[in-house]
Amino acid sequence: MKLIDAIEGQEYVIQDIETDDEELDAFLFSLGCYSGETITVVSHIKSGCVVSIKDARYTIDNQLADAIVI
Amino acid sequence: MRIALTGNPNSGKTTMYNALTGSNEKVGNWAGVTVSKKEQKIKNAYCNNQELIAVDLPGAYSMSPFTSEESITSTYVKKENPDVIINIVDATNLSRSLFFTTQLLELGIPMVVALNKSDINSKKETTINVAELSKQLGCPVIETISTSKQGLNELIQAATKQSTQKQTAPFHQKEIDLTNKNEVENADRERFSFVNDIVKKVEHRKIQTKDKNINDKIDAILTNKWLGIPIFAVVMYLVFEISQVWIGTPIADWLVAYLEMFQAWVGDLLANANPLLSALLVDGIIGGVIAVIGFLPLVMVMYFLIALLEDCGYMSRVAVVLDPIFKKVGLSGKSVIPFVISIGCAVPGIMASRTIRNERERRATAMLAPFMPCGAKIPVISLFAGAFFNNAGWVSTLMYFTGIVLIFLGALLINKITGYKARKSFFIIELPDYKIPSLWQAFKSMCNRGWAYIVKAATIILLCNTAVQIMQTFTWSFTVAETADASILATIATPFSYLLFPIVGVLSWQLAAAAVTGFIAKENVVGTLAVCFVGLENLIDTEELVLMQGAGQEVAGIIAITKIAALAYLMFNLYTPPCFAAIGAMRSEMKSSKWVWGGIGLQFGVGYTVAYFVYTIGTLFTAPETLNTVGALVGLFIVAIFVITISVLIKNANKKVKEEYALTSK
Ligand SMILES: Nc1nc2c(ncn2[C@@H]2O[C@H](COP(=O)(O)OP(=O)(O)OP(=O)(O)O)[C@@H](O)[C@H]2O)c(=O)[nH]1
Ligand SMILES: [Mg+2]
Repeated sequence: MKLIDAIEGQEYVIQDIETDDEELDAFLFSLGCYSGETITVVSHIKSGCVVSIKDARYTIDNQLADAIVI
Repeated sequence: MRIALTGNPNSGKTTMYNALTGSNEKVGNWAGVTVSKKEQKIKNAYCNNQELIAVDLPGAYSMSPFTSEESITSTYVKKENPDVIINIVDATNLSRSLFFTTQLLELGIPMVVALNKSDINSKKETTINVAELSKQLGCPVIETISTSKQGLNELIQAATKQSTQKQTAPFHQKEIDLTNKNEVENADRERFSFVNDIVKKVEHRKIQTKDKNINDKIDAILTNKWLGIPIFAVVMYLVFEISQVWIGTPIADWLVAYLEMFQAWVGDLLANANPLLSALLVDGIIGGVIAVIGFLPLVMVMYFLIALLEDCGYMSRVAVVLDPIFKKVGLSGKSVIPFVISIGCAVPGIMASRTIRNERERRATAMLAPFMPCGAKIPVISLFAGAFFNNAGWVSTLMYFTGIVLIFLGALLINKITGYKARKSFFIIELPDYKIPSLWQAFKSMCNRGWAYIVKAATIILLCNTAVQIMQTFTWSFTVAETADASILATIATPFSYLLFPIVGVLSWQLAAAAVTGFIAKENVVGTLAVCFVGLENLIDTEELVLMQGAGQEVAGIIAITKIAALAYLMFNLYTPPCFAAIGAMRSEMKSSKWVWGGIGLQFGVGYTVAYFVYTIGTLFTAPETLNTVGALVGLFIVAIFVITISVLIKNANKKVKEEYALTSK
């Protein structure tokens, strides 16, 4: 399933990042967002969601949330 | 010896740099504040008179750069061989930071890790076994708190000691083909699992980051679907209201009284001197400069408030709140930070666009940021609000609001001209923890920028005023002009006044001269008007041109244009190209002369068009009989040229897009 459908507060394991933008992929990687790592949706907001990756918080938009398979 | 400060964004590098060197570089609680390299000697207190240079660098998450400011960092450590690296690690986020740390260790440059923000860890009861971490990494690890300068002595001592050692790396990337994506990814995975193992060994957390905390509760309100934008509007409104009305203006009134006393005193001293000289000195030079300095309190209070906003962590939330709106016009939330910074000054605002990855978005942001009225435009706004509108607050509000609208419209135009197709763009922004902003930090930032404002007034503005005063005193044959209309200045400025005629309804070389000097620096508009209009400088508290009680009407009388014209002229000055400094910054960020000229053209066109319509339509409504038909037609012609140019560009872009599609469908 996609990150958009994740339940708030539950920890998921990332299966895949669906993007053909290699630089973005590498960037997400350096944040610790890559298949095999865990990710938690802290809350869903209108334009995307707030996620916790490693020990930091990020806001990502719906398009990106749609590319993260968990 | 050079010590490079590196680390993840927002880990506190610049705070540490400022503490070590005593400089005053910009600090802010969001990722991507520093966008260029800074070097400075470390204070003697830390280095016992050794020659140590600290180098502050933009934050980076890894050695492979994502945005252009990150590449500054990786290039620097790879190519410039600093003697020691201090890697500033955000102790609250060890698991992410050490990825970059292990990459840096592989460079073989002696390194010391500063475990910064350790105060937050104590508060959250997270413990890190420093000795073990140091052993695992193979380099000294020192706990620091940059905000209170704790641990900096030990840190510098360790760095000096380390500089003679050879650095070995705890993790070596295998020999791989760096062009092969899979191999690189596998190597990085290994690196991360190495890091994860270390973190497991040394870190003990009581509070898990993924759990909801107080920050999330605040976020729920500040980035709320309905409340987010109204809250931002109120915050910005308060910034303007407090700086330009509540606190700034009373202080300015007080300051102006003193400045005028000074001016009068100099006037008395020169009472017996050559009248020409005393006019030049007292009215021209001093009058013009204090005209500008009088606005200093307004500008400084605003800088103070903006510094508070930047330090509390709200900026990245603003980016989140406005991202959906900006996406609609082809920009993203990342553009918001440059726009907000531009309220202070467009130059750092334009530079902040470096953190935007998409090239088109970045250039568009740099081009549009100057539409935001900056600190230097406040004197201009206040002068006109005072002289023509009884200091009405709505004038200022309207100017900022129009600036924002122009940014949106400009973004749409740029999209059309560049043939932008809605493409997938991803938005991700780090949300740092909120913190109580440091008043001392904001105070320092305010003084720093206030000082820069004074220096500017005492140099560029002073020079321009002197030049203007001399040019309007003499004729081309260097005799004293009988009336200013025969002066050098009048002959130079008159051609421009024809262009301005459709906007102000009168042929006034003074207004034209002020607009032209405004391109050098916007405060010049005020200075030049003060110098040019005979007697004006006696009426207004020049500075602040907060006109003395009742003087407003007289000033309006001297400038001799209608209220509508005043509004139009004000808008022309605000929305046409900003000062030379901002154009220079645009050039260095856009790296394309086509875009720079396009940007200047767009700003001219938009500024002129807005001013023309405000004047023409406004006059048609209020006093149609005063509208000069010839002027209106000339203006319409100029606007038409602009519109036609834009339409041709858009058409070309559409054609190109169509061709591209045609090719791909074949
Ligand atoms: N509690 C605490 N806050 C700190 C410490 N050091 C820095 N900060 C805060 O962290 C924020 C970021 O500081 P900066 O110095 O701008 O960070 P930077 O690493 O230069 O960030 P970039 O330039 O964006 O890469 C500011 O709000 C600082 O006040 C510290 O030791 N403890
Ligand atoms: Mg910095």
